[in-house]
Amino acid sequence: MDEKRAVEIRTRNLGVTFKDNQGRDVLALTNVNLEIYKGEFIALLGPSGCGKTTLLRCVADLQQPTEGDLHIQGMTPKEVRLQKKFGFVFQQPVLFDWRTVKKNVELPLEIMGYTKKERSELADEMLEMVGLKDFAKHYPKQLSGGMQQRANIARALGLKPDILLMDEPFSALDEFTKEKLHEDLLRIWRETNKTILFVTHSIQESVFLSDRVCVLSPHPGRLSAVVDIDLPRPRSLDMRDEPHFNELVAKVRNSFEGGSV
Amino acid sequence: MAAVKKKIGRPKPLRQRIGENKSWQKASAIVLPLALGLLIVLIWQTELLHSWLDTDTFTLPLMDKIGSIMYDNSDKIWANAVDTLKVAGIGLAAGSLLGYLVAIFAALLPRLGQGSLYVIGAFASIPVVAMAPVLNNWTKDVSSDAAVRSMVSKILVVTLICAADMGLNAYRGLTEIKLYSEDMMSIYAAKKRVVLWKLRIPNSIPYVFTALKVSVPASIMTAIVSEYFAEKITGVGRQIRENIVLAQYSTAWAYIATACVIGILAYVLLMAAQTILLKRYH
Repeated sequence: MDEKRAVEIRTRNLGVTFKDNQGRDVLALTNVNLEIYKGEFIALLGPSGCGKTTLLRCVADLQQPTEGDLHIQGMTPKEVRLQKKFGFVFQQPVLFDWRTVKKNVELPLEIMGYTKKERSELADEMLEMVGLKDFAKHYPKQLSGGMQQRANIARALGLKPDILLMDEPFSALDEFTKEKLHEDLLRIWRETNKTILFVTHSIQESVFLSDRVCVLSPHPGRLSAVVDIDLPRPRSLDMRDEPHFNELVAKVRNSFEGGSV
Repeated sequence: MAAVKKKIGRPKPLRQRIGENKSWQKASAIVLPLALGLLIVLIWQTELLHSWLDTDTFTLPLMDKIGSIMYDNSDKIWANAVDTLKVAGIGLAAGSLLGYLVAIFAALLPRLGQGSLYVIGAFASIPVVAMAPVLNNWTKDVSSDAAVRSMVSKILVVTLICAADMGLNAYRGLTEIKLYSEDMMSIYAAKKRVVLWKLRIPNSIPYVFTALKVSVPASIMTAIVSEYFAEKITGVGRQIRENIVLAQYSTAWAYIATACVIGILAYVLLMAAQTILLKRYH
């Protein structure tokens, strides 16, 4: 890593325990030590139950860690959330049916008290960026799943957040749409230079997109390896046919504790 | 077999062609119900219905007779219809508002609020025939004017029925929100008030219409039934009863027909409002 780069997110011995239906303690995540640099693209990779979403939700202050600590730009997640520095893209597009695509993108700006003109301009800019300019006046139900997820990304980017948190955003999409959105996401990331935390269970996806892959293993959820992805940028889809890409995929796969998944 | 026929190019049977005709599909939506209506008028007017039901034109007057009575008594019928509509309308508005407010209360403070929803629900499950006389009694000190007293009593019955319906439906609309939408609102540090205004209330609008589809007809039915027990003799429902007691079946039927017209018109209005207001939800 470049020495000049500032640490954006730092976790120390982070752990989350919650109670299941029977009131028993379940250790969802334990002893996570991680430093994420400003402007870095980080993939959180692991099978279900490894705590990757839990980790992401802790960063976003949607869930509270029960052990250790977590600081973002030297602040607590709550302070950062209240300053509205997060953009969050959920597994499913959370669009409000009664608002047009553009009005959905404007929602966070409304909450922030932007003027009508500012909202409209910013929303147009974001919709242009995700390629939905012509669908601004459509209602969410008139869009395909991929387009809904683009709208979702446009909304998350609207506030120009410092940190973009993405929870398996493309897992429900078909392969073609996914590839297109991968390229779009990398372009947007280049243009905006945000720190991105990207949760996924696809090894290929994590290697293709990120600077570093954080491999999490389940039972209990823990960080078992961090793999540097030294593929050159900007990345193109045909890089995935190169031997080095496949070496990295194999390296990531072999770093799961308890063998391959 | 069908595929082979198609290849040869044999024309489709006439019935199938008519069924697939776009303009027939549109027209049939109007023509078929109209034809059924005409058929009913026909068997009614020719007294075929009377012989099937083993009755006479005194108990079940012919339609033209009912029509002419409605025409001759239009002033009186109108005045009674207005009284019924006042009860149903004010009760519906007050009840729906009350129900919605309780639902908001329940959505914001589930522990306290859900209890009040149950209480309203329990009240509304009391039959109208029991609730109306009780409320008559309760409201006897409200005013020295019998007209006002019975009006208040009738409106209260309708209010309770509509409040329960709206409260339970609106509560679902305010709380059954899309997965992750609350998380999203907290990412933007939205205050509870903002979540209510921008997420919960808009989400509840289709549920409000679900409630109204039940409570609009119910408000009219309840108004009609509670008129039976009211102190003041007025309203469509009360006139049905009075005229049956006096064995004036034709006049009673004129009021029954009026009640039907009110119910249908109210429902048509509601459907029109729903089509306009819920456009963006579909």
